[in-house]
Amino acid sequence: MDILAQLIVSGISVGMIYGIIAFGYQLTFATSKTLNFGQGEALAVGALVGLSVINFLIGQSLGSFTAYLIMLPVVFAFGLVQGTVVEFLGVRQAIRTKSEAGWIMATIALGIIFRNLAENIWGRDALRFPSPLPEAALVIGPVRIQPMEIAIVIGAILLMVAVELFNRTSIYGKAVVATSNDRDAAGLMGINTRIVITFSYALSSLSAAFAGVLVAPVTLTGATMGAVLGLKAFAVAIIGGLSSGVGVVVGGLILGITETLTGYYISTGYKDVPGLVLLLLVLSIKPSGLFGKAAIKKV
Amino acid sequence: MNPFVLALIASTALVSSVYAADPIKIGLSGPFTGGSSSMGVSMRDGVKLATEEINKAGGVLGRPLQLIERDDEAKNEVGVQVAQELINKEQVVATLGFINTGVAQAAQRFYQEAEIPVINNVATGSVITKQFVGGDYKANYVFRTAANDTIQSAMIAEEAIKRQGFKKPAILNDSTNYGMLGRADLTAALEKLGVKTVAEEKFNIGDTDMTAQVLKAKEAGADVILTYAIGPELAQIANAMGKLGWKVPMIGSWTLSMASFIDTAGANGDGAMMPQTFIEVPSTPKRKAFIEAYHKAYGGDRMPSPVSAAQGYDSVYLLAAAIKQAGSTDGRKIREALENLNEKVEGVVTIYDHPYTAADHEAYTSNIPVFGLVKGGRVIPAHPEDVAGDKALRIKTKS
Repeated sequence: MDILAQLIVSGISVGMIYGIIAFGYQLTFATSKTLNFGQGEALAVGALVGLSVINFLIGQSLGSFTAYLIMLPVVFAFGLVQGTVVEFLGVRQAIRTKSEAGWIMATIALGIIFRNLAENIWGRDALRFPSPLPEAALVIGPVRIQPMEIAIVIGAILLMVAVELFNRTSIYGKAVVATSNDRDAAGLMGINTRIVITFSYALSSLSAAFAGVLVAPVTLTGATMGAVLGLKAFAVAIIGGLSSGVGVVVGGLILGITETLTGYYISTGYKDVPGLVLLLLVLSIKPSGLFGKAAIKKV
Repeated sequence: MNPFVLALIASTALVSSVYAADPIKIGLSGPFTGGSSSMGVSMRDGVKLATEEINKAGGVLGRPLQLIERDDEAKNEVGVQVAQELINKEQVVATLGFINTGVAQAAQRFYQEAEIPVINNVATGSVITKQFVGGDYKANYVFRTAANDTIQSAMIAEEAIKRQGFKKPAILNDSTNYGMLGRADLTAALEKLGVKTVAEEKFNIGDTDMTAQVLKAKEAGADVILTYAIGPELAQIANAMGKLGWKVPMIGSWTLSMASFIDTAGANGDGAMMPQTFIEVPSTPKRKAFIEAYHKAYGGDRMPSPVSAAQGYDSVYLLAAAIKQAGSTDGRKIREALENLNEKVEGVVTIYDHPYTAADHEAYTSNIPVFGLVKGGRVIPAHPEDVAGDKALRIKTKS
């Protein structure tokens, strides 16, 4: 029983990382029916920017916790700019010309460019990210957990709640929701849907960059750190449903927990298999995802 | 003829005789970027240091050595491109390098075909020097100055079971060639000692959570963790053990001395043990001079990978001695000279006295490496008595 609890706790913290990246996919898909396939790279570049900032601040003899807090807004701002750039260069033209696949190639290409840029600026070595919290594990009942793992879960939930609150309460958020529901109708109602889409890309990269600085202290930081995470988050987005914010969180938790449980109870060699089997099952039974709304396409 | 013209002719002759001392081109292939770059860069620095020393002393056959460095990025396909470039475009006389067994296997075929000798100075896969033995191959052009995985796995098993008396080993390895072949070698070595593993777990490069693997080893009652993986993932294991509050010794292949493991694991990595052919301790005058020269040239007070630097340094001196003995830069003659090297070469790792024969292309035997121990961010000798007095310098046993 103790082991099961420990595995589930570890699975939750891994799953929340997947969830927050998948949340980024969901944000842009809701408004524009397009995705940023360079989400993994947005995560890596965000983490590397965070690393430079936090190292600079620690060099100014700040504590690592304070430095981490001051670094966060800088990383957020960077994420917003990076997402805007992706939307401007990669997606806007494709949406305007109603291209079916143009944005796929463009966002993949931009992802590769960002990775190469990062490799040239920060090198190809995996770098250590200073941990803002003590690294000694906390003991809660039968479970041992690193403080940073708790921070990952809390941070991810906070970000998603903040975005949801924004959507539900503010007038700008209502524009986002309206665009998600029906872009053409929203446009006719006087909502500038182009800006809404740009904003959703900016927010999507922000959440990727945030995921990057959350996960970096427990792993290492490097230009390729986002590759596997981005792919797994994509699976999560499909399992949970690309149109549902709650769906991606649940999808993330499902994938994270199945991974650790399979690793322990079946074999570490097959750790990734059940998650992908689940993905295939969802695709064949409920293609819109566990929490997704089935889209009715009228012809 | 007018004296001015004579002087002109004489001076052109002089100039052309200077040009006749063309440098001897030596290829250098290794990952200078990416996850194994700490080994690649240290190896390169060791090689450069030795080359500069040789050139300062007048070069080889009156010609300076010139290194042609290429980054193989630890990728097999890039390694192949580098090999082709070095052979066909640069026309190197020999090549040093290879950190990654996979890259070595993919690339050295081209050297074998071109009859250009290769000295693997870091890669440890047991198969590397056996790839072109027997069959249609008349001669083998692949040499090594590194302790191969057969030697290392036997040492790890011996240390864990015999010397320290552990009974329930668990093996954790990555799913690359390096990790999987290493695990096979390790289980074989353990079986020889009559011990079975209680758990064998693997993980992928880039995995961020090792809780499941470590928990399995813990629940199986393991009393020691044996590893075959590289720095970043090894650090994740040590950190997962730290998180779970479960501390058993970690003994593994020499990659536990990688800076990326030591730095990322921090206190959790203290106590990890691994076979080392060279530990940064000035136990002989040659080693003292090497360590001082290295830090003078490249700064710092700790080599990122001392083993790679030392083995790289020695490989240059072995090659230089072979070229001198061959009296030529012909690949075939250099190989023959390496296989019957008359000069005793005093290196950093050991003294090379006929290090190779036609049948044996391994410079090191199992008595040469000793166990290193991670302590306070550095690797120190695990058993000081192993390197005390005349045991500091260990020389290859003759079969």
